[in-house]
Amino acid sequence: MPKIKKKRVNVMIDMTPLVDVAFLLLTFFMLTTKFRPQEDVTVNLPASHAKVKTPESDVMTITFSPDGKIYFGVDSQQLRAQLFGESRKLRPSIPVTLEELPDLAQAAKNANPKMRAIIKGDRDGVYGPAEDVMNALQKANIARFELVTVESRD
Amino acid sequence: MAGGGNMGGGGRSHGKKGKKHKGKRRMGTHIDMTPLVDVAFLLLTFFMLTTTFSLPQVLEINLPPSESRSEVTESSLLLLRVVNDGRIFWNFGTDQPRSIQWKDLRSFLRERAVSNPNMICLVKVDRKAKYSYSVQMIDELNLASITRFSLAPLLDADKKIIGLPPEQEG
Repeated sequence: MPKIKKKRVNVMIDMTPLVDVAFLLLTFFMLTTKFRPQEDVTVNLPASHAKVKTPESDVMTITFSPDGKIYFGVDSQQLRAQLFGESRKLRPSIPVTLEELPDLAQAAKNANPKMRAIIKGDRDGVYGPAEDVMNALQKANIARFELVTVESRD
Repeated sequence: MAGGGNMGGGGRSHGKKGKKHKGKRRMGTHIDMTPLVDVAFLLLTFFMLTTTFSLPQVLEINLPPSESRSEVTESSLLLLRVVNDGRIFWNFGTDQPRSIQWKDLRSFLRERAVSNPNMICLVKVDRKAKYSYSVQMIDELNLASITRFSLAPLLDADKKIIGLPPEQEG
């Protein structure tokens, strides 16, 4: 029986669907990605079971680092220019003292009545500064604030 | 797909246009897509790895305004004290404080909230206690759906009641 010589086939895989899907995913991730805003201080957030997402607009952020320094920031650049001065409007937050905090919070609240206060504290830091910050906010008639946490595992 | 239409006639001449291009052979343009795909996948991997879908959560606190005075009967005022090493002491009104573990706190609070819907909590956290204790405490209150609570400083008098020395160094 004569051997049948197999013809060599040039295999061409059509990559088009693959590329389509890749681009689709790429577009999705590019559009949904929101880069984390730059921060002056990084804190290890405590964990909780809260389900509310952090609001992103109309917020003032009060951060205190483990060594007890307090940073105050607002989300809108315009308001930052107004509160901290034109030269510091690009900084996300500025270090403040406890005495300045009620006035700043009050000013921010006056400029934007929808403003909400967000407190970020380090989980290993002591409670003292948090108590001071809450008192300062209460002085500025802000009785409602939010503590930033990460989702608890258990 | 698109080639199946009227333009797919190979080198056949038709009309004026065809005459003009008489000598030219139609070439199948093959663009090498490889670099494009490489870059696309590179970007795709980058975005997939850097994306974190989880924004941090927030724990809402609504404190009563400092001027407001609300009258509560002693028996429905639950005092929760957290001392600097993380131990919790609870008591109603002026009872003797009793200690409770963190793991038992949730069921305890839930039980109390059900048995007395008018209960008001006062949370006192030591200034030297860890910040996460206060967050944990407020979280437990939220989980037990106790919304009427307030925060107050832990004074030396409180420490005396619990039986701790008034001011511990370090």
